[in-house]
Amino acid sequence: MYRLLSLFSILFVILLFSFQKGSVEITKFVEVEVDGISLEDLRISLGAEKSAFHMDGFDAEKSKIGLELIKNGKAKRKLFKSCAISSYFVCTDCHNLTREFENPADQDPTDRFAYAQKNNLPFLPASTFWGIYNRRKFYNGDYIKKYGDIITKAKNSLPESIQVCAKYCSSGRYLKNWELEAIMHYFKENELRLRDLNLSDAQKKSIAKLSEMNAEEKKELLKAIDNSYAQGYSAHFLETMPRDDRKYGVGGDSEKGKYIYDKACLHCHLDGRVTFLKLDNDKLSAQMFLKNKTNYTDLSIYQIIRQGTYAMPGRNQYMPRFTKEKMSDQQIEDLMAYLNELAK
Amino acid sequence: MKKIGLLFFIVFFGSVGFSQDVTQTFNSTRIVNSHSTEMLGKKMWEYRIEHRFGDFAGTNGGAQTAFGFDNAADIRMAMEYGITDKLMAGIGRSKGIGRPYTSLIDGFLAGRFLTQNKEKKIPISAAIVGTMYYTYMKQVNDLQSVAYFDGKLTRRLAYSSQLVLTRKFTDRISVALMPTYVHRNYVAQDDVNDLFSLGAAINIKINKHMGVILEYFNNFEDDDFRVNATNSLGIGFEFVTNGHNFHINWTNSRGFGELQYIALTQEDWLRGQFRLGFSISRNFKIKK
Repeated sequence: MYRLLSLFSILFVILLFSFQKGSVEITKFVEVEVDGISLEDLRISLGAEKSAFHMDGFDAEKSKIGLELIKNGKAKRKLFKSCAISSYFVCTDCHNLTREFENPADQDPTDRFAYAQKNNLPFLPASTFWGIYNRRKFYNGDYIKKYGDIITKAKNSLPESIQVCAKYCSSGRYLKNWELEAIMHYFKENELRLRDLNLSDAQKKSIAKLSEMNAEEKKELLKAIDNSYAQGYSAHFLETMPRDDRKYGVGGDSEKGKYIYDKACLHCHLDGRVTFLKLDNDKLSAQMFLKNKTNYTDLSIYQIIRQGTYAMPGRNQYMPRFTKEKMSDQQIEDLMAYLNELAK
Repeated sequence: MKKIGLLFFIVFFGSVGFSQDVTQTFNSTRIVNSHSTEMLGKKMWEYRIEHRFGDFAGTNGGAQTAFGFDNAADIRMAMEYGITDKLMAGIGRSKGIGRPYTSLIDGFLAGRFLTQNKEKKIPISAAIVGTMYYTYMKQVNDLQSVAYFDGKLTRRLAYSSQLVLTRKFTDRISVALMPTYVHRNYVAQDDVNDLFSLGAAINIKINKHMGVILEYFNNFEDDDFRVNATNSLGIGFEFVTNGHNFHINWTNSRGFGELQYIALTQEDWLRGQFRLGFSISRNFKIKK
């Protein structure tokens, strides 16, 4: 009898442990699944319409080619290397490929700078490609002033935006179908996932029980999700700061200014990497800018940051402007503060 | 052999730049006459037009020739190309100073194998330049003349090798040393085939766009043998704009290329035999 009881007890304990182990695994599985769920899939399951450029998945090989095109402007395909999309720029001259804000819904240039400094990122004039697949609006705000009808089709279409960027923004050519497809696969691979959004635990838990939600709850959740990331980046073109408003670096933070100089200006101008204007962390470069600080010319920091330059025949390299969202007036003063120090 | 090949590959084709690499030691690929350690960027083209006028003063200069403007001592046009950020090549055509050569074609390969770097404590930049010259001038039917080639291709050829060592001391001041070796296959009786010269230069940048350059080459030769030979001395002003580099210079040498300004200079500043010259270069990219 004792033997029988002992045997039952052992069997009971084994069964107990095996059930516990099983239940832990299930919990983990749910957590991973919820966190890694694609934002696009989640939105669709909550009742949102598919985007015009919706993709069911990505091809890893095509995505790899897309990354090569983004970084090098050309890629190898079927033993042949394609022609460069642009002779002057590659995408990463103006766009980062990683997250740029702690909060993906944020668009404040101060927060963008803080995140860039914390993560040692370039501080660039264009929006990041990270999560671009999930955006719905492109070439927003004042870009219509610069590009006019060219961006009409691109405003709501990622593939059209890519084509406009390749042809006009990078002074290059339209992409071939396979190139566009490869870049789209890269964007799809790097779309936002639930873990990238700043959602509450309660919201995340409710997503895990999606099938139990009614239509109204799904609508509410979709609204919360859509507010948790930038569906399009605003773009306000600012006029050159009037002379009377310029502080010429007084009160500016030169440490931040150095970061902007290194990660924005020198990103392209260091030894003329992208452009013919060669800059370095030297006295002469700083003195050149300070000499022109009161002007309204391309060599004035106040002018060039807000206006940029335009491509012209014989000189297709141009400098894109920094919009209000990409660099604040205070950051320009920080930059001036650093240039004041560098010029000494 | 493999190690040497690997070293060559890393030095000249490794385009990885270090953040502390010193840049813009000189503003262009040339100092006054000499090469510098600056190289064209990868896949960058440069078109150069260079000109030397006639003597400013002296017997062949003065007001009668509008201080040399009526004459062209030498004219060179060239296309140069950046193979990598540290290796470039070029081909040019010069009028030639006519003593003895005219119709000169030159081709060169230049590579920077050392870059001044604060972080790595490399004190200098160093480049090596190899140039080959060929004249396609009509043969002179004078047995005494160097231009009597006797139908032999080798007599039309000359070579130079130059080591360029530069250091940027401050943001404004850079210096260069240029040990140079010139070899001519065929020379006159009162000349030598091999010539060694040591050049030195200083570049003083006035601001981001303007600078002053002084360059001198001292030939190590027997003055009693090459009695007419003089050393090249040049002073230049450079103006840098986006994509352009404009040099105005005064120099006693008449011609372009180490073959001419080192081995064939016979003019003397003190006799008014210096001239105005200029070079304009335009950078552009055709294909990335």
